Amino acid sequence: MPIKKLRIGIVCPYGWDTPGGVQNHVRDLAEYLISKGHFVSVLAPVIDESKVPDYVTSAGKPISIPYNGAVARVLFGPIAFARVRQWISSNEFDLLHLHEPAIPSISLLACWAADGPMVGTFHAAAKRQKAIFAIGPILEPVIEKLTARIAVSEAARLTLTEHLDTDAIVVPNGIYADHYRDGEVVQKWSGNTIGFIGRFEEPRKGLPVLLAALPIIARFAPDVRVLIAGPGDSEEFRKSIDIQLKDRFEFLGRISDKEKADLLTSIAVYVAPNTGGESFGIILAEALAGGAAVVASDIPAFDSLLGHGEYGALFPSENPQELAKVVIDLLRNEEKRKNLAKRGKEYAQRFDWDVVAEEIYSIYEMSMVGSTGVRLASENRGWQRFLGREGKDE
Amino acid sequence: MRDYALYLFIILFGLWYLSYSATRLDRLHHRVETSWANLDGLLQRRAAIALEIARSSISDPASALLLTAAAHQARDADIENRSMAESGLSGALGLLLNDESSIIGSIEKDLLRELSELTDKVRVAIAIHVDAVNRTQMVRRKFVFRVFRLAGRAPLPVTYEFESDVL
Repeated sequence: MPIKKLRIGIVCPYGWDTPGGVQNHVRDLAEYLISKGHFVSVLAPVIDESKVPDYVTSAGKPISIPYNGAVARVLFGPIAFARVRQWISSNEFDLLHLHEPAIPSISLLACWAADGPMVGTFHAAAKRQKAIFAIGPILEPVIEKLTARIAVSEAARLTLTEHLDTDAIVVPNGIYADHYRDGEVVQKWSGNTIGFIGRFEEPRKGLPVLLAALPIIARFAPDVRVLIAGPGDSEEFRKSIDIQLKDRFEFLGRISDKEKADLLTSIAVYVAPNTGGESFGIILAEALAGGAAVVASDIPAFDSLLGHGEYGALFPSENPQELAKVVIDLLRNEEKRKNLAKRGKEYAQRFDWDVVAEEIYSIYEMSMVGSTGVRLASENRGWQRFLGREGKDE
Repeated sequence: MRDYALYLFIILFGLWYLSYSATRLDRLHHRVETSWANLDGLLQRRAAIALEIARSSISDPASALLLTAAAHQARDADIENRSMAESGLSGALGLLLNDESSIIGSIEKDLLRELSELTDKVRVAIAIHVDAVNRTQMVRRKFVFRVFRLAGRAPLPVTYEFESDVL
């Protein structure tokens, strides 16, 4: 990293205190940049302001809207807009980094309000003809203000080209690979175990596919067990499981990073049966870094993350029979499993923040060339100049 | 009376829209210029490093000759031939650096690291520049921009065909 310390403003569109991939990404990136000596301020919707770290500024309480098959907690409206403007004008940033600026959120508002070097990161990979993208013509001039665009995966980049007719540089999401590198084997989690981490109640996470595959797997591996970690109502979910399979399930609830590392090291295979709505698959990168043998559905994001099957086994999405086949094959063939896990672990270093953040930083540098920093767009309008009211930084 | 108010509103909105569009195009033109200046600078630096590599112990006399010629060509090329010359330089560097394992000296290693860092930057700079040019061309093709001549006398930016093989 260079000697020059920057003032970077990051806008996170989703509620800071609700779990989610974008929030994690923003948090990790902000903390990485701070650890390198830069000044970072994150603007995000916040529910409970007493529990946020110093570098987060609240833009107000988020509201829930359904988006991309899940409920998104975002924020917009005149009060939010005023807060965004205030945040921009009082911080004198060198650069703004807006996350997911194409959905109605404070990221879009910031893009509208600011003038100067801006980098946008697009996370979502959505199917065409989503209502949210139908506002393309209105979005276009706003999105155009971004100096550089980043897509977190090929799938996200494709979405961007289809909907907004603009290209992006692909930089994957980051993980702290060393958090997962040295997990310890926990006896009760080892053996013929299948791991699953995530919000299991959401259908798009695909747990029903695994449920359907389990009877077949159990026929060949009688002692197989499924370990499920992640937030959700496990009692409610347990009711939907076949009575004969109930004993095979263990719900761990929310787990810490350390437990996650141990879990990933202990289990025989990690299964990601997601049916869609996934744009990157950070959990797969973590599972690989933790040394688990990964089995995933062949949705585009997973297919490209796993190098088309090179670093993890793939099965046709929503096909329990094929999933069972792949899992049984791996459970029976220890050498194959170990090799797969080893290849994956080496490959996962590519997603480490040391690599990813440097790539993002070099995009920052290239975007800032010839600029004098970020200011409010209204200070720069032609008629302001006409009236003799120059922007205050000029 | 209400009619007048409506007309007035439409005219005011139209004026605002024109001013907004002009600002938008102005921003794009500005970005084309700065991104090109940046890219140009990076490419110049790359040529300078290539010359240094040619003079160092990395290259044998034959490849040194090749590299020097390519670097000079890239530096002297005018705008139309620039991208071809830069691709030529990429090719020359690629030939030489095919097998990096044979390079031992620390100065040479520094040189190569600098080159690879620069290459990463060049890649991003090209993406930003090409994007700015495409956007500008697209916007200037639009009806409002052509009819009201919002571009003024600014020349239409030229697409530079950079090949993806820029190291």
